[in-house]
Amino acid sequence: MENLVYIALFAPFASSLFAALFGMSQREVFVGIVASMFIGTAFISSLLLAIHLYTTGDVINITMMDWIHAGDFNVSFGFVVDQVSVTMMTVVTLVSTVVHVYAIGYMDHDKSFNRFFSYLSAFVFSMMILVMSDNFLGLFIGWEGVGVCSWLLIGFWYHKADQTREENPSVSPSWAANEAFIVNRIADLGMLVGIFVLYWNTGTLKYDEVFAQLPYLNNGIIVTATIALFIGAMGKSAQFPFHTWLTDAMEGPTPVSALIHAATMVTAGVFLVIRANPLFHAAPEVSFFIASLGTFVAFYAASMALVERDLKRIIAYSTLSQLGYMFAAAGLGAYWIALFHLAAHAFFKALLFLGGGNVMHAMHDELDIFKMGGMKKEMRGTWIYMTLASVALAGLPPLAGFWSKDAIIETAFNEHTYFLWIMLVVTAGMTAFYSFRQVFMTFHGEDRHTPLGFHPHEMYKFVLIAMSPLAVLATITGWYMKEYEDFITELLPHYEMSEHTHHLASWLGLVVLFFAISGIVWAYLKYARIGRHAWKRDKEKEQGFFYKLLKNQYYVPKFYEEFITKPYAMVSAVFWEKVDLKIVDATVDNIAKAFYKSGDATRGMQTGNLSNYLNWMAVGGVLLLVIAAISAMFV
Amino acid sequence: MDNILSVLVFFPAVAGLLGFVIDKESARAYGITVATIEFLLSLWLWFSFDMSDAGMQFVESIPLIPNIGISYYMGVDGISLFILIMTTLMTLIGMASMSVTKNIKNMIVTLLFLEMTMVGVFVALDAIIFYLFWELSLVPMLYIIGAWGGPLRVYASIKFFLYTFTGSLIMLVGMLFIAYTYYSVTGIWSFALTDWYMLVFPKSMQLWLFAAFFIGFAIKVPMFPFHTWIPYAHGQAPTIGSVILAAVLLKMGTYGFVRFSLPMFPDASVMAIAPIAVISIIMVIYTAMIAYAQKDMKQVIAYSSVSHMGIIMLGIFAMNAEGISGSVFQMLSHGIVSGALFMLVGVIYDRRHTKLLSEFGGLASVMPKYAVIFGIMLMAAVGLPLTMGFPGEFLVLLGFYKVSPIMTILAGTSIILGAVYMLRVMKKAFFGPVTNKENLKLKDLNSRETWSLIPLVAIVIWLGIYPKPVLEPIDNSVKAMLHFMDEKAITQEAKDIIKLSKSTKEAK
Repeated sequence: MENLVYIALFAPFASSLFAALFGMSQREVFVGIVASMFIGTAFISSLLLAIHLYTTGDVINITMMDWIHAGDFNVSFGFVVDQVSVTMMTVVTLVSTVVHVYAIGYMDHDKSFNRFFSYLSAFVFSMMILVMSDNFLGLFIGWEGVGVCSWLLIGFWYHKADQTREENPSVSPSWAANEAFIVNRIADLGMLVGIFVLYWNTGTLKYDEVFAQLPYLNNGIIVTATIALFIGAMGKSAQFPFHTWLTDAMEGPTPVSALIHAATMVTAGVFLVIRANPLFHAAPEVSFFIASLGTFVAFYAASMALVERDLKRIIAYSTLSQLGYMFAAAGLGAYWIALFHLAAHAFFKALLFLGGGNVMHAMHDELDIFKMGGMKKEMRGTWIYMTLASVALAGLPPLAGFWSKDAIIETAFNEHTYFLWIMLVVTAGMTAFYSFRQVFMTFHGEDRHTPLGFHPHEMYKFVLIAMSPLAVLATITGWYMKEYEDFITELLPHYEMSEHTHHLASWLGLVVLFFAISGIVWAYLKYARIGRHAWKRDKEKEQGFFYKLLKNQYYVPKFYEEFITKPYAMVSAVFWEKVDLKIVDATVDNIAKAFYKSGDATRGMQTGNLSNYLNWMAVGGVLLLVIAAISAMFV
Repeated sequence: MDNILSVLVFFPAVAGLLGFVIDKESARAYGITVATIEFLLSLWLWFSFDMSDAGMQFVESIPLIPNIGISYYMGVDGISLFILIMTTLMTLIGMASMSVTKNIKNMIVTLLFLEMTMVGVFVALDAIIFYLFWELSLVPMLYIIGAWGGPLRVYASIKFFLYTFTGSLIMLVGMLFIAYTYYSVTGIWSFALTDWYMLVFPKSMQLWLFAAFFIGFAIKVPMFPFHTWIPYAHGQAPTIGSVILAAVLLKMGTYGFVRFSLPMFPDASVMAIAPIAVISIIMVIYTAMIAYAQKDMKQVIAYSSVSHMGIIMLGIFAMNAEGISGSVFQMLSHGIVSGALFMLVGVIYDRRHTKLLSEFGGLASVMPKYAVIFGIMLMAAVGLPLTMGFPGEFLVLLGFYKVSPIMTILAGTSIILGAVYMLRVMKKAFFGPVTNKENLKLKDLNSRETWSLIPLVAIVIWLGIYPKPVLEPIDNSVKAMLHFMDEKAITQEAKDIIKLSKSTKEAK
């Protein structure tokens, strides 16, 4: 079994190195195929490990080698395969395999095809380190590793020039990449502080050993550590106020958005909370904050998706919103439900994004849904996939999203946090509305693209086939919720609904369904019809206050630019030109000049005239006598 | 080979003297050969180094002027060993990558002399010998900047020389005072560091002496507000000068703190934690911001050096093995990484004769190999895990967290601000469309440049994944030093703050 662990971990690394060998040469299709096979191998190994764990219940621990050892600090490369990590490993490698195959088709015209696979596989490798490590610093390696891969992939089309925010809200791929990296770094500092707190109070960073010492730690330390770790999680999972980078990250190629910015990397923050659940469980105040923030982000992101026109940005907002749901569940103590939603979300959201990629491919990178409409004729397969994924996202039975999201909403009711419950229910309605607004605007209604000269075509067949596993999983995952619960609660705490909630469960479910279906129906009436009832652009409404507020993302990016980015550049320039050059350096030069000038001024004494020298000698002698007399007075 | 250290110190100098009679055409090959032999010798030193011994090894001691206690006294421990190896490595690589053709023979001879003085500083255990090498190292650098530098080279080299020289004079006064004290206590003159370690000074005297040494070292590091010579020195120096300056000469200052200030004045060092931490944090934040405002690529790296040196200073004053070992490791990491970055800037300067960021853009598509290596070094500079930049920076911050969480968070902004200015360079120079036509024809790295950078890339990754072979001997010596400081400290506060590791090995 140990070998399987190593294969699962290092196959993506081998894939990345292999593709890197051809990184600077012409597009070679076999690079994509070999890379996909490597990732597929990692998936099969992960699956075998999952089956092994399911049947025997043996957790595998491996210590590969020492890493950093100084003073009493000692951290090794150690890996653990338990219920939580094996879930993540399977999900990550499965989605990655699909995305690798998909990318062979999607990137077929890109001259940097080989380089793309190298980065993509490197990402998978980092993600595997992140989920498999048995200590916080190992997790941090993966954490930073996925950050770099995300930077490389968002900025993959680095040659594009910057545009103004009005032309393109994400400015340019390289700008968006830098934003993502820097925002994540801010949060990572929080994470590092969490690591420092844990190390100095427990003397170790291994999960088991840290959690074993929890009973001996005082509350202040646990609260500090959880806050700090959660700040890290907020960055990676793009929670408010670190959320702006995620929508800008849509500048990356669509397979990247599907894999990194929807299915896997952005869920790392949720994973961290689940992984450190004993710690977060011991800090109920922090956990409640997490749940509240999650609920807020769920609502906040959904509201911005309502008016967005960019296909990928709509899906990005929905990712943000679903991450909020996951945090809500984790914060309320339903860790396994959060993990279940994470997995279900990975499947249907990756499917949705890849479908969006097909549309984008067909429309030659046009993403404005106002310019689409009626495309289901040309792109039947994609239409089915995207509708399926949207149904799952909207939370209609029997698809995956229904089971996982309903459980989260029920948890909020069960914890008597009724306000959170209401927010989550309303958000579910909004989710259904914006998902179907996007589906209807793209595939139904009047054909708006042909007059604009677009002639969309369906994606390659092998790409559509490659997407099918996701479609199947987006459908059936929810049916195995009970089995999964039995499996995962070997490690994660059980979460039982109270008698009262249990009693009301079906009514609660109906409320959620009512909101979801109303959202869909409303979207249908507004956007899907043709002829007399067809959707028409209402420019007047677009000038409304709320519309503009939402369209401009509540002016948060603008705020960051005006109050952080610009002042930082200004202060930096002042520090350099006014302080460093004019004060610090000028002082040094002035001291030097003072010496030089005093020398220059007294040079006149050196006349070469003996009587002058005697005069000066007399002056000196008198001066010495005076000094001697004065010092004698004090002694 | 009992006198390996003497060989290491004087071989380059003797070879340098012979270099005068070498033909101009073969001067470069000759220099590289000598530097290679020197590097191999230093590797040999590492292999015969006893990893379990935390004390001084390969000690040589010959009385020079017995009347006043000056002796030829040398040795290495875990702390100096790797700085020494880095010195020989960076001299070799710097020389191999050098594109200078003007007066090449003089350059080679100067570099070999410089190598002697640098190795000498790190192995000297006698204060006078240390001081001699310390001051002598200024001369070749003065010449390198003054003779091969840019338009402001005379101003820059004189500023560099006078500034650091003034600092060291104050340090010399401190040294003479200690020797005198030693004489008045024991009745014999001695300048041997190991003898000086035995002196226990009263607190106030420790503070004065600490201050004297501080000025000498702080200017060299350079610490805020004594850092303004460095942008000029880097700005005017040829690539090779910047590489050596950043990689090795700055480390003399931080090494001085570890070798002199901490073990000799433990109480004063503990009292200096707060002020030094404040200065270090200013260095980290303030110079990182200045680096962000720069228009010249090389100045960004120059200011980033100061910012990184802030982290190193912070680690030295963490007073625990995590912080100090991390700090020494970070010295090595900064040496390799900033050396490589200066070489990379040199590559583009050789091609375009400008370093202004506004002249570039889109280089990644014209020079992909160059962009990849720059990217790797950039990631190491911002402390990405599994590169060499991470263990040091992490351990420093970890160590200092024990002393002050708030200050650690402030200094920790280095991981953010570092990314801010480095990514700006990456974006401006490498990303975006190629706007300047002149950049379209640029050639990617040639084989000389590639093969001098690849070893550095390999080291950066190797020591990021497996720092143990280097970190372990450093850590042993650091633990022993802390143990010694704890025993020697006279005040209770100092004893409380100096944190001993559970696994300390005694110095033999």
